[in-house]
Amino acid sequence: MRSFGILLAVFFLSCAILPDMALAQGRHTEVVIEHTGTAFIKTDILIRDLDVLSGGVESADAANLMNRIVANDLRLSGLFLVGFSEENPDSLEYEFTIEGTVEGPLRDAAQTGENAPVTISLNLLSYPQRQLLMNKRYRPLPSQMRATAHHFANEVIHWLSGEPGICLSRVVFSRGSGGRRDLYVVDYDGEGLLRLTANRELNLCPDWSPDGSEIAFTSYREGQQGLFSLNTTNGKVRRIIAMEGLNYGADWHPGGKELLLALSHTGNPEIYRITPEGKIIKRLTVSKAIEISPSWSPGGRDLVFTSDRTGTPQLYIIDSDGAGRRRLTFEGRYNDSAIWSPSGDQIVYATRSGNYTQIVVMKSTGEDRRVLTDRRWKNSEDPSWAADGRHIVFASDRSGVFKLYVYDVVEDTFRQLTFGNDPDITPAWSR
Amino acid sequence: MNRGWISRNLLLIAGLVLMVAMVSLAGCGSKSDVETDPAAGSGVGDETETLPTETVPEVVEPEVETGPDYLNLDPADYGVEDVYFAFDQYDLDDESMGLLSHNARIIKEAGVTILISGHGDERGTIEYNLALGEKRARAVRDYLVSLGVTVGQLKITSYGESKPFAMGSNEDAWAKNRRAHFERP
Repeated sequence: MRSFGILLAVFFLSCAILPDMALAQGRHTEVVIEHTGTAFIKTDILIRDLDVLSGGVESADAANLMNRIVANDLRLSGLFLVGFSEENPDSLEYEFTIEGTVEGPLRDAAQTGENAPVTISLNLLSYPQRQLLMNKRYRPLPSQMRATAHHFANEVIHWLSGEPGICLSRVVFSRGSGGRRDLYVVDYDGEGLLRLTANRELNLCPDWSPDGSEIAFTSYREGQQGLFSLNTTNGKVRRIIAMEGLNYGADWHPGGKELLLALSHTGNPEIYRITPEGKIIKRLTVSKAIEISPSWSPGGRDLVFTSDRTGTPQLYIIDSDGAGRRRLTFEGRYNDSAIWSPSGDQIVYATRSGNYTQIVVMKSTGEDRRVLTDRRWKNSEDPSWAADGRHIVFASDRSGVFKLYVYDVVEDTFRQLTFGNDPDITPAWSR
Repeated sequence: MNRGWISRNLLLIAGLVLMVAMVSLAGCGSKSDVETDPAAGSGVGDETETLPTETVPEVVEPEVETGPDYLNLDPADYGVEDVYFAFDQYDLDDESMGLLSHNARIIKEAGVTILISGHGDERGTIEYNLALGEKRARAVRDYLVSLGVTVGQLKITSYGESKPFAMGSNEDAWAKNRRAHFERP
């Protein structure tokens, strides 16, 4: 007992000291936070009100909306400190500025009333030199205004950081209770909530195809589970596969030509590779244990999944032929729902500790395990990565009902994504 | 006896009375079918006009006297009981096996198709709970089959933690939600 206590003390001490040491080093060497591989440095950017050149109230509304959305996008990226005025910059030392003009609406015979486009020109400039770095011109209809702002924010993020922006990404999830859950989709900033299914069944565990054209999900027909696909362009649903028992946990291959799935028709849940048409390509696991929850590595060569062959659910990695099995988790008696990060260096998963489930991030080698959600989060489950590898969406019932939250891995901050009284579970972030 | 059973049977009897009436009417309108029945033999053409009204009630009445309407009742209504499981477990204990022997006798007599759904408590992940529910439903079906129930009579599914029987985050609710439930498919 004694030696165990000492070991624990050493573990906590090292946790407490190491980040401080890294920070202290950072002041001199510019290596700031070692464990995430990303610096904490933010870029100060000034966003000026867009000039309304013509068009009255429609143009003014458009200018206002563009400003608001671009500013929010840049803030949510975690890369920027956003200011709106030169007058009182506080501690801001602007390096860049965004400004632009709105003209509009151009009306011809075919475009009347509110359905006419405005012309928006947006510039990214250095500050205070005002060197033009990027210009984008758009002619959006009122219904395209949000997407236009997100598109420009993505361009700015990409220009300044080299990273892909996630401002046009969306999260699909399952909402409902009492044996009826429907799929919904929401923009990454919490706007544009849309319901996708209405079949009075359980609809669960959605996953986007890499190009976003389809969402694979598990649903029930007459009490039997099947894997279905929803076409995101026309809303049509088709059946992919419905074997006896479980048909769930779909994970689309990065190439888009096949999926991983857990099936139990042989009498036991096992991992399979199937085509998008529902043909089994290969069975990857053979055991009497539960083997579920597969997730491809970003290159599509390996997969991580859950097996309880040792008596408790733990994470394992195998290659796409089912060979080379190795155990990944040794800490915790219940680990499940692993998802590989877009860059491949990290894995996020859910661990059960006592009666609660928590979100954990670690290197894909199994090292540097970090619990993201403490007891205040009650149960936090079903994590999914954004394409930027920096944000994770998950479900937590910290408010008493499961809602979706977004975690920033670099800054260690959270924001709530969905609201309302119905439970929201099994989110999946689009590419 | 619960009220649901009685009201369902009242409906059933009412329905059968209606059926008798309808069949009688239909019988009146389809004399030719009866006339050409080979069993009636030849050379009795004169008597056929009175046959339908006498024979039709004899065909239908015995059905009114049969047992529960298994097709339209929930298994719980004719005595099939749910089976409960320990935390994180999908093995059957002695008590469950005893209960399943009792269930097996009833299910064999009922002769109808039954859906066994597996359930788990709210703790743990959606995905692992779906697998646990599946294992529970399968353990129950396998044991019933070993007791002689026709395998084709038993469908299985798993709802994991998505269709709880008891709400609440306490041992009482959790214990009620870890079960294999028998339902009409």
